[in-house]
Amino acid sequence: MSVAQIAGGAVPTVAKRAARRDWLFRGALVVFGLIALAALLGPWIAPYDSSALYVGPVNGASSLAHPFGTDDVGRDILSRVLVGAGASVFAPIVVVLLSTVLGLGLALTAAWFGGWVSGVVARVVDVIFAIPGLVIAVLAVAMFGKGLVAPVVALSIAYIPVVARLTQTAAARELGKPYLAALRVQGVSSLAICFRHLVPAMIPVVAAQMAVGFGYAMLDLAAISFLGLGQQPPAPDWGSMIAGGQAGILAGAPEQSVFPAVFVVITVLAVGIIGARVTLWAEEKER
Amino acid sequence: MPPLTRTVLARLGGMLLTLFLASVVIYSAVLLTGDPIAALAGGAKPTPELIEQIRAAYHLDDPLWSRYWQWLTSAVQGDFGRSFVYKTEVMTLLAPRFGLTLQLVLLTVLIILVFGVGSGVVAALRGGAVDRTVAVLTSLGMALPTFVVAILLIWIFAKSLGWFPVYGEGGGGWDRVWHLVLPAVSLAVLFIAYLSRVTRSALVAQVHSEHVETARVRGIPRSRIFRVHVFRNAAPQILAISGTTIAGLFAASAIAEVAFGLGGIGSLLVQAAARADLPVVQIVSLLLVTIFVVLNAIADLCSALIDPTSVAGGKAA
Amino acid sequence: MTHPILEISGLDVFAPGADGPRQLVFDSTLSVGRGEAVGLVGESGSGKTLTVRAVAGLLPDGFTTRGAIRVDGQELAGLGRRAVRELRARRIGMVFQTPRAHLNPLRTIGDFLTEALVHVAGASPADAGRRARALLDEVGITDPDRRMRQHPGELSGGLLQRVMIAAALAMDPEILLADEITTALDVTTQEEVMAVLAELRERRELSLLFITHDLALAGAVCDRVNVMQHGRIVETLPAATMRRDATQAYTRTLMAAALDEAPPIVAEAGTAAPPILRLEGIRKSYRLRDARGRADTLVAVDDVSMELARGGSLGIVGESGSGKTTAARILLGLETADAGRIEVAGEDWSRPARGGRGRRHRAKLAQMVFQDPYQSLDRRQTVEQCLREAIRVHRPRAERAALDARIAELMGHVRLDPALLGQRPRSLSGGQRQRVAIARALAADPELLVLDEAVSALDVTTQVEILTLLDTIRRETGLALLMITHDLTVIRRLCDQVVVMRQGRIEEHGTAEAILDAPQADYTRLLLDSIPREGWTPRRRRLGRTGSLATVTRSTVIPD
Repeated sequence: MSVAQIAGGAVPTVAKRAARRDWLFRGALVVFGLIALAALLGPWIAPYDSSALYVGPVNGASSLAHPFGTDDVGRDILSRVLVGAGASVFAPIVVVLLSTVLGLGLALTAAWFGGWVSGVVARVVDVIFAIPGLVIAVLAVAMFGKGLVAPVVALSIAYIPVVARLTQTAAARELGKPYLAALRVQGVSSLAICFRHLVPAMIPVVAAQMAVGFGYAMLDLAAISFLGLGQQPPAPDWGSMIAGGQAGILAGAPEQSVFPAVFVVITVLAVGIIGARVTLWAEEKER
Repeated sequence: MPPLTRTVLARLGGMLLTLFLASVVIYSAVLLTGDPIAALAGGAKPTPELIEQIRAAYHLDDPLWSRYWQWLTSAVQGDFGRSFVYKTEVMTLLAPRFGLTLQLVLLTVLIILVFGVGSGVVAALRGGAVDRTVAVLTSLGMALPTFVVAILLIWIFAKSLGWFPVYGEGGGGWDRVWHLVLPAVSLAVLFIAYLSRVTRSALVAQVHSEHVETARVRGIPRSRIFRVHVFRNAAPQILAISGTTIAGLFAASAIAEVAFGLGGIGSLLVQAAARADLPVVQIVSLLLVTIFVVLNAIADLCSALIDPTSVAGGKAA
Repeated sequence: MTHPILEISGLDVFAPGADGPRQLVFDSTLSVGRGEAVGLVGESGSGKTLTVRAVAGLLPDGFTTRGAIRVDGQELAGLGRRAVRELRARRIGMVFQTPRAHLNPLRTIGDFLTEALVHVAGASPADAGRRARALLDEVGITDPDRRMRQHPGELSGGLLQRVMIAAALAMDPEILLADEITTALDVTTQEEVMAVLAELRERRELSLLFITHDLALAGAVCDRVNVMQHGRIVETLPAATMRRDATQAYTRTLMAAALDEAPPIVAEAGTAAPPILRLEGIRKSYRLRDARGRADTLVAVDDVSMELARGGSLGIVGESGSGKTTAARILLGLETADAGRIEVAGEDWSRPARGGRGRRHRAKLAQMVFQDPYQSLDRRQTVEQCLREAIRVHRPRAERAALDARIAELMGHVRLDPALLGQRPRSLSGGQRQRVAIARALAADPELLVLDEAVSALDVTTQVEILTLLDTIRRETGLALLMITHDLTVIRRLCDQVVVMRQGRIEEHGTAEAILDAPQADYTRLLLDSIPREGWTPRRRRLGRTGSLATVTRSTVIPD
């Protein structure tokens, strides 16, 4: 839960080195592309209706008809994984976009007005940081009820501190550079300085943060559905499928938990590699 | 006032303010939306008399700020109110569950520190193939969330091999530890990977720093350079991030608790949220926030203590 | 026959590259005899630092060498790793350019000084402590007991550099490797450090390999000087007669950068016209925390007044902390003065301009060139985009053809090849970047150009080119120049009037001729005497500054 909160620090150099390996990056792009495709086309390419009961045996093992097996009420797991990709991929995108907009807005407000405004912003960010992501999610569920909306809103808020602090640091570093002073001496207007120079300068940093944040959002959202607070049955979702399949494991049918778990891991790995690459690109832009 | 005292006081003040504001958020967020009367009536269609009773019993007619103040002052004095769902004192629900979560977190912290910091140190020191191996393992670890590790462990070690119990917290003593091993490992994996990377990069930054260059040119033995100049200087950063990680574990443990059917505060919070048991949600949230903030402040102060240069320019947490 | 203490013969250094190793140092050969001081002089990228790092065993990972390095006759390559480490620890002392980065910030000065004694030589901590105090005393640091307990953050750069020297002496080495050790220091502090070094050499018969970009300094403190260019040692000269003996054109160019080559510029008579710039009683103070975290007030500029004639050139000289840069920033509205009056071309500029129109109006009168051209250009803009933006500010509705013509004209003014228009700052040389910055400043056709240390980040040969260019532009266009610098050489080449500042106050002002050739104030004399030149011997003139000066961190916030 708190990985995203602590991930604002330095991105480790191992990841950078891995990111330089091109085949790894290309592989990650292909994997992510395929999963994104599944997310878009899930319901159309799924071999069975993902909610149809007893299309196969109860707790069925992998077979030609059902490559990933079937669950405790005989639903086809491959179909559910494919259809579930939609929520698993698009919800994190919404989280990343929302938290970036909110965090950037706060950081820029603070940087622009300075003084007591930036003090208030810093305090708001501190308070959000003090409430662990899971607690924010629980509060959101209490407010909006179970489903996809509450966790997405909750995580968008929970990620604000990371985005805001990162952008604030980047903006402060940029504002300290003499080229901005040079532009002011030239008589360039403040708005032009902000939108033609300052904002473009921060795009790489923000992009890197978004790529890395996507992976964390995906993990955290899956964790929330695993806890039963996210997407509600019968709609398929990787996190809730893993939770629902636990009984299957004990009944000797691990497929229903293991296959969605494998998909979570593969997607997060691919996103992690892409994120490391984007971070590397951002750092090279800095130089 | 000596700078250190001032730093400590400033951070303490900042911490209390943050906690106060967070408690306001927690209290008002829940009350603004939930319908406590419906919850208190326990599903039955409430008669007007019952509504009146509930309103009187829970002071629902008082203004929000007054109820908030009452709630906060009672909570600080240990009166946590009554659960809507269990119809008992929240305190009696909380006490045993907190103990279990604490045990789980302590075991997890032990695992994280040994393997996370340990592998980071080894990777930074050895470099080469060892470093690359650790890098691959941590990349994998960063993609292994608690619930995935949990079901894998249940499948392999509990179901297939039968080495560990599947569910429950067991009795006391070693049986408890026995039951907590798999949950702790599942909770630890992601954080081991994260802390290992943080440790490694903090150490590598110091290894390549110019003051270490000076020590090398002066012929200071390698072991001493590592202890005194590399590890010591990287320690504040490693400590600060470990502190935040550990502080976050109390909330994150909910996932392991649910996966392994443990009755801790995390699983209590999740159940309470699912059933709209507002008093429990509020108190557990407040408790988790307090733990998180206090542990972070302690980690901050420890970093400040071992880094004399940070005191002067230090910033309140 | 005795061996030289240090002998480098046929040294090649290779950097790792994507397509095989890249050679950076070619066949470097030099030797340092017992008690001898040898200089290794070159501009950035000449390979001088790599050469000395190869000796100290501090080449970056992946670098390889060929050739021989012998310390007191012993070939380093022939010894085991442990023996090499011992040899370097005991026989060689090394001092670096940036003492602050080279000291562990978390350890006290005492820990630092005693560390090698205790952990390499095996001395008891008490003995090591006594020895450390004696070493501090030897490098002229007073109150050693207090210093031993302090952290590096509490000491000034000059003091830290002396601590580094003391530490390097702890093991009684035979040779000191000094890599640009005074480059980051003020000129008067440089003299003190060099004086300490000279005394030590005399007392200890210490050999010295002195790496610097400053040929005059090397000539003044060394017995022999090696001039290095593009990775090769092009010439080795005895210091005493190097002016006469130099045969290489490159050596001569380096020498020409010295102070007494050019006579000071004399102001043209008939400056009855009202001045372009008048400062009266400017004052600026900052609230900040000192090294111990206590609140403190720093008066950066204190009652400063000056005038600059139209088409004239005024130099403001001072060391770090003199307030010269703050004064310039106040003038251009980047800071607000606490008190005083600023007049430019008869207008009152005492407060920064409010609003875009006011700022554009002022931009047409006064422009600025900053110290580091790489930092002062937007790294995402090409040269063309940068100039186009600067012109467009004042001519928002100009036709494309008119803008192109103006860009070509500006490139011509600063003698830049139009082929560079598509380049970004990253792929330009330091001199080219600064030319772009000057062209950008000229875009508005200003009447006053403020140059804030505009050449101090450049190599000496490039400095000369830029200064000549500025002087030409001034004569051609009648642009008034305000040059802020720590370097009196720059003043001599560019300014007809000079103001000397120290700790926020004006020490002396007058014509360049008077100040440079017949200074009145003690401080001006000290500044002039501190400049290394032929026959110069460094002297210790004053006690070191005791504490680290509080520094102001500016964050340039966009107003409105």
